[in-house]
Amino acid sequence: MLSEVLGLTSYPIEVEDLKYTYDGRKYAVDGISFSVREGEVFGMLGRNGAGKTTTIRILSTLLKRSSGSVKVLGMDPSTAGNHIRKRIGVVLQDESFDFTTVEKAFDVYGFIWGVSKSERDKKRESLLSTFELTDVRKKRMWDLSGGQKRRVQVAREFMHDMDLLFLDEPTSGLDPIARRNILNMIKDLTKDGLSVLFTTHNLEEADYLCQRVAIMNNGKILASDTIDALKTGYNGLKTVEVKIGGDQTGAESMFSKVSSGRVEPPFERELPYRIVTENTQETMQEIIKLALADSVQIEWLNVRAVSLEDVFISTIAGGV
Amino acid sequence: MNIVNSYRLMIRNVRVNTDPGTLVFLVLMPTIYLVFMGYMFGTLISQIPVGSTSINYKEFLSPGIAAFETATAGIVAGGLLWSDRRYGMFEQILSSPYTRAEYLFGILLTTLVFGFIGSGIMMLVSEAFLDYTAVSLMGVGLIVVSISLGSLFFGCMFLAIAAKVKSNQAYNSLTILIIFLVDFASTVFYPITSATPEALKVLFYVNPLTYIADVVRAGYISTVTTTDLVELLVTFIETMVMVAIAVLLYRKVRVGVT
Ligand SMILES: Nc1ncnc2c1ncn2[C@@H]1O[C@H](COP(=O)(O)OP(=O)(O)O)[C@@H](O)[C@H]1O
Ligand SMILES: [Mg+2]
Repeated sequence: MLSEVLGLTSYPIEVEDLKYTYDGRKYAVDGISFSVREGEVFGMLGRNGAGKTTTIRILSTLLKRSSGSVKVLGMDPSTAGNHIRKRIGVVLQDESFDFTTVEKAFDVYGFIWGVSKSERDKKRESLLSTFELTDVRKKRMWDLSGGQKRRVQVAREFMHDMDLLFLDEPTSGLDPIARRNILNMIKDLTKDGLSVLFTTHNLEEADYLCQRVAIMNNGKILASDTIDALKTGYNGLKTVEVKIGGDQTGAESMFSKVSSGRVEPPFERELPYRIVTENTQETMQEIIKLALADSVQIEWLNVRAVSLEDVFISTIAGGV
Repeated sequence: MNIVNSYRLMIRNVRVNTDPGTLVFLVLMPTIYLVFMGYMFGTLISQIPVGSTSINYKEFLSPGIAAFETATAGIVAGGLLWSDRRYGMFEQILSSPYTRAEYLFGILLTTLVFGFIGSGIMMLVSEAFLDYTAVSLMGVGLIVVSISLGSLFFGCMFLAIAAKVKSNQAYNSLTILIIFLVDFASTVFYPITSATPEALKVLFYVNPLTYIADVVRAGYISTVTTTDLVELLVTFIETMVMVAIAVLLYRKVRVGVT
């Protein structure tokens, strides 16, 4: 706090009005501004195509921005790429692997980073056990399951030291336990001052791991704040979830008649409709009445507190 | 651009390529050519005139196969760009402390290393059944220069293809087609004679492997003619052109394009 007052807070990432276009026509990143503080896990939330990966590619010096200003560890990625790359770690969204065994993959990756042989051996052993890869250490990378490959890819990044880590959907394809292990490991590392930029479309993860998040859609940041502050905007509101059973045909027209709250249709058929409302009693009565009148079959109905997911969905729905 | 970084990437490239598949490709296949063709054609073909002397078929084939290894090395090394792009390591390495130029240079070093290892092994293998070699210091020099140029030429050629072609099938069929054409439209297995059809001759003379095979052969028997020096010059020019093409296409390779 004192350092903030004195203006000593360093921002590992500072982004101002950043834009990027792949084809010269459409902006994949369309004027975003945010900063990441030292030792924090900053979450970028957004659906596929929001522009998260593009942002990471620019910050990790892989792409040159179209416009705007960017500072990574106090340096400009378009001129100081080499200095930045020495101090960052990047877990890409797409798989990346060599055609070797698991243990050799760790060793070769450490070698690329100039880590000494004895240090490589030590780190490899500890990472193999932390990420529960000991059983597959002799296996070849292409014989691993998707989740095991992902675990190697994330674990491998810790073969070297860094000040800033980019994680692009690191938990995609992982089972819940592996997911939780990785999140905990990242949490531990940030205690030692590591700053992390983390992208996900899993809101629970962001809730668990991140101090602050930015919600991105269509290349823009729609909201950016601490998770608590984002939820505060929804104080006093509740979410009514309604799952429609059987034939869904009448559902859309039925929900369009709801007037006691804001309706968010589900992204997927299997998910419930959500109604964010101040008055749950009124909303439930209204829905039951409408369902009877339109002969729409309700499979179940549930009332709960507003979650980060609700904030996310409402923000994005409001943004398009 | 730091050459130590490229050296480090070269070691990585060699380490990730020391799998049985590569070894079969680099050692076993040419050994089969050498042994089978050497013995089978060796009994059918008598002396072959080379420069001012003449040699038997085994003596003709052995340096040819050593030269042939430059093309094999090129496929392995140039192909790294393709597999690194395809399997995400290109992007991963470029977000590590390496520049694009260092990555490119790492591949060029790799093609040289594989070229020398491959042709070196073939020379050793052929020692086992050759009756006669008389390599002089000058011969060694010629062999080293032409193996270097050949490895660079083919490394750049397959790197250029890897920079252009994305699909697995297209890349594989194209490389197989090219390698067959390059190997057979050259003087690796047989000399060009007055009976060779004109159209084929053109193909032979465009192909740098013809010159590389000729010069390595000249180095082997230490009978160097001015023709060999002209051939070396042509190889040098073709290699520089291919390096330029590879660099141009490599510069256009974008990350994040799958
Ligand atoms: N290599 C590329 N070439 C052209 N367009 C791309 C490329 N990569 C991503 N895009 C486009 O840029 C937008 C943002 O994509 P991306 O950054 O991958 O989003 P996210 O990571 O949030 O899913 C999308 O519309 C996507 O189609
Ligand atoms: Mg992405």
